[in-house]
Amino acid sequence: MGKKEKEFQIKWKTDLPYRYSIGKLAVKYFEELKNKKIMGSKCPKCDKRYMPPRAVCANCFIEMTVEDMIEFSPKGTLVGFTVVNYPFIDPNTGGMRPFPYGYGIFKLDGADTYMMHFVDETDHTKFKIGQRVEAVFKEKTEGDIYDIPYFRLIKEEEE
Amino acid sequence: MPKHNVAVVGIGQTKFRSKRRDVNIPEMIYEAVKMALDDAQMEPKDVDAILIGNMDHFEGINFSEMWCGIDAAPGYLKPVVKIATGGTTGSSLGICGYYNVASGIYKNILVVGWEKLNEGGATTGIITAFDPVWERPSLAGALGPLALMANIYAARYGITSEQAAKVTVKNRSNAANNPFAHIQMPDITLEDVMNSQMISYPLRLHDCCPQSEGACAVIYANEEETKKITDNPAWFKGVSTAHYYTFGCDDLMFDLPTAAIASKKIYKKLGIKDPVKDLDVAEIYEPTSWSELSWTESLGFCGKGEGGKLLDEGITQMTGELPVNPSGGVLSTNPIGATALVRFAEAAIQVMGRGGKRQIPDVETAMGMGFGGSLWTELAILGKDPKPLR
Amino acid sequence: MEGEKMNEELEKKVFRGRIKVPYKHTAGAYVEKFITEIGKNNKIMGVRCPKCSKVFVPPKMICFKCFEKMEEWVEVGNQGVIKGFTVISHSTPVLPLKPPFAYGIITLDGADTDFVHIINESDPKKLKVGMRVEAVFKEKPRKRILDIEYFKLI
Repeated sequence: MGKKEKEFQIKWKTDLPYRYSIGKLAVKYFEELKNKKIMGSKCPKCDKRYMPPRAVCANCFIEMTVEDMIEFSPKGTLVGFTVVNYPFIDPNTGGMRPFPYGYGIFKLDGADTYMMHFVDETDHTKFKIGQRVEAVFKEKTEGDIYDIPYFRLIKEEEE
Repeated sequence: MPKHNVAVVGIGQTKFRSKRRDVNIPEMIYEAVKMALDDAQMEPKDVDAILIGNMDHFEGINFSEMWCGIDAAPGYLKPVVKIATGGTTGSSLGICGYYNVASGIYKNILVVGWEKLNEGGATTGIITAFDPVWERPSLAGALGPLALMANIYAARYGITSEQAAKVTVKNRSNAANNPFAHIQMPDITLEDVMNSQMISYPLRLHDCCPQSEGACAVIYANEEETKKITDNPAWFKGVSTAHYYTFGCDDLMFDLPTAAIASKKIYKKLGIKDPVKDLDVAEIYEPTSWSELSWTESLGFCGKGEGGKLLDEGITQMTGELPVNPSGGVLSTNPIGATALVRFAEAAIQVMGRGGKRQIPDVETAMGMGFGGSLWTELAILGKDPKPLR
Repeated sequence: MEGEKMNEELEKKVFRGRIKVPYKHTAGAYVEKFITEIGKNNKIMGVRCPKCSKVFVPPKMICFKCFEKMEEWVEVGNQGVIKGFTVISHSTPVLPLKPPFAYGIITLDGADTDFVHIINESDPKKLKVGMRVEAVFKEKPRKRILDIEYFKLI
């Protein structure tokens, strides 16, 4: 590539609004989230309990309905953690996602699947695998994904 | 059963770099395509069909098969199909290319994987590939989840960051032998890796793959065509794919269960009893140093929790019993849509004995791996002949 | 659709998402020369295929028919012929101008490929296939394809 690099670049910003249909089970989930309840779906055949809720059990390939939905505990157990400490543009906003932030994978009590979410701790030495976590709800819930802005680590003495 | 045996008869790769500001997308792809055509001594008109792949949101274009399949590859008035399956894009291209020739639909096919990641951004692009309602708000691209996987793996088996750092030292010094590799660090030390910046605990900067720009093109042909082109092809012995759940959290997939499922399937099909003895080299898709340790276990190269030991014993080193990533692997080069195709291509290069300074002596059988999507695995095993081992 | 109420019900089930991402697209040496010549010298340049002699405007590296690398630059005319046209009357946020305005498929004198650009005539009755047009250049070029501001009827 001996030659001088050409620097001519065209810069633009894609900014596309979308309206995603979320389906009946998610509608129910967000309705109940407003009441600070976390609902998942349950397979009528294998009994696997899914979070987030969805209409088909992948194992059995059969339909799960709103009537099959069950409530999970807002508490769960931490399985893995990290502290995200790198810059990147968040395509949800077009701006930088603020960092560092704690990020965990955990299993809610009653669920068979795991979930990943923000955790309000940015010091990785404060996390411990196996420790208990709890969903923190906004004071005034609105029935959207931001009603649980993050999970918090439960201190041992609280248990 | 395949109707036809399929061989790799031509390979082209660009020199991978963090930026290629001297060329636009089709111009960059053309370099690899031209090299593959020249390698196979084929005229553009002789190519039957084109498969081309990348991930749209990395560059913000949605129609790459339209302009890259014609201006960068000889697809005019021919079938041109785009494939986009995330990190596995390159291996999906390879496997679909194989299917197209093995089935007898085409005599030959040109498959092209490419990415120009500096034009957008990998983390940002990856987020757009996931569920807008449930996953995008908190997802941090691939590295956040890969950090979680490493964290669980380390805790479960007592793997240390020093063991992980050894993977980077191995792969980046291997990369110095590969003229196409992006990051070549012949003198990298364990301390360099372990003192590098913490990116996402436990991943440090040098535990993570880069983002690269470049393209890889490979030509596959059936037996009749292959005879006309070369007496030194690399034959497909078999391919294997395993897809898993929709969401990355539907199961605890820290050790990539799809790698275990896909590898068991292909080993059984080909009569491979002990991959360390039966394979001569493996090009695996390791987005982080920790992934290589963990996934060599899932691929059956050693027992659970023994990935570190496998490396410590030197088995995966250039001089070991089963060298892993003599090309430098993904830790050295990661043009996402091309990455897994490079794994397949490098496996073919090893079988053909054309690896130059990165060549492992006397390779009869080589495996290439793709990882991506929602923790999917795709594998191909190539060899001096198309037959199963036993 | 039963009017407002049905819409409201549907809207409730909708998640409003957004993909907002900045990109920088490397234009490459061919496009750079093309755009620079337009802005600096008001010249429209193409490249000729060494095999089929076809002249491509805008220029690109590879002749898609012959799969040959093209390196011979040729200046084509600033005038050309309308091969087809349409008049945009419906406004959407992505358009370069406020409708109504015309888009034409234009073959420039000396070029073998067609070129889509704006024609500054909004009355479809005044436009005809076969009419000749001429490029009008922007006074202050910005290194964009719209440095040819529009084509005017001759």
